[in-house]
Amino acid sequence: MPETESSDAHVPASPERTWEALTDGEALGEWLADGPGELDPTPGGELRLTVDERERTGFVEEADPARRLVFWWSETEQESSRVELELEPDGDGTRVRVTETRPLERLTVEGIELATPRGRGDGGGAAPRMLALA
Amino acid sequence: MPEPGAAADAVFAALADPTRRDVVELIGAAGEASASALARELPVSRQAIGKHLGALAAAGLVADRREGREVLYRLTPAPMHEAMGWMASVGGPWDRRLGALQRHLARPHTAV
Repeated sequence: MPETESSDAHVPASPERTWEALTDGEALGEWLADGPGELDPTPGGELRLTVDERERTGFVEEADPARRLVFWWSETEQESSRVELELEPDGDGTRVRVTETRPLERLTVEGIELATPRGRGDGGGAAPRMLALA
Repeated sequence: MPEPGAAADAVFAALADPTRRDVVELIGAAGEASASALARELPVSRQAIGKHLGALAAAGLVADRREGREVLYRLTPAPMHEAMGWMASVGGPWDRRLGALQRHLARPHTAV
């Protein structure tokens, strides 16, 4: 049974500047990772971060600039979890909502075919079409 | 930090009382129960049960329907989900990370 953790917060920055903090390797070290890391904000892009002194690797599922970032990550040999971050203009800043879902199985990605995010109105966004359970 | 909201306030207040928690459990197990049936199961008076059911109904946790001369109560647990969501998240790693994100974005910066 998947477990979910959610949180949300108002940040004093525009969605664009917030997106920068979510996707820039150096900035990630200021709030999510122990130090500068790597995140390629395109579908299928890799991420590599050290979090709580443990290395995590993963991939980006969806990247809709200044709106939505979804990625999978796991510690070596551990189960993967899926992180969904949503940004919404909120007064003079941005509301950031996050949901992390932890499946029981460890997932690896083989031969992902991903669509790039399309314009609003079609529910746009990418999803990995092929996942193998390890 | 996610705000629990007014609905969750009422849920926490309603469930703070141990007798009301017993009432919730009994109705949950039975599916539906009358105030009289609940009073038979618990060491409190029928009037006290009535007051407890009122508090639970005010918090949106029970609903009732009339069958003949009886009023039957059932659980409507949706308001508990907001409260549970808050309990599941508070103090978790993402609360801490979003706090750090807030502080990072609050620092002076060059305009993007």
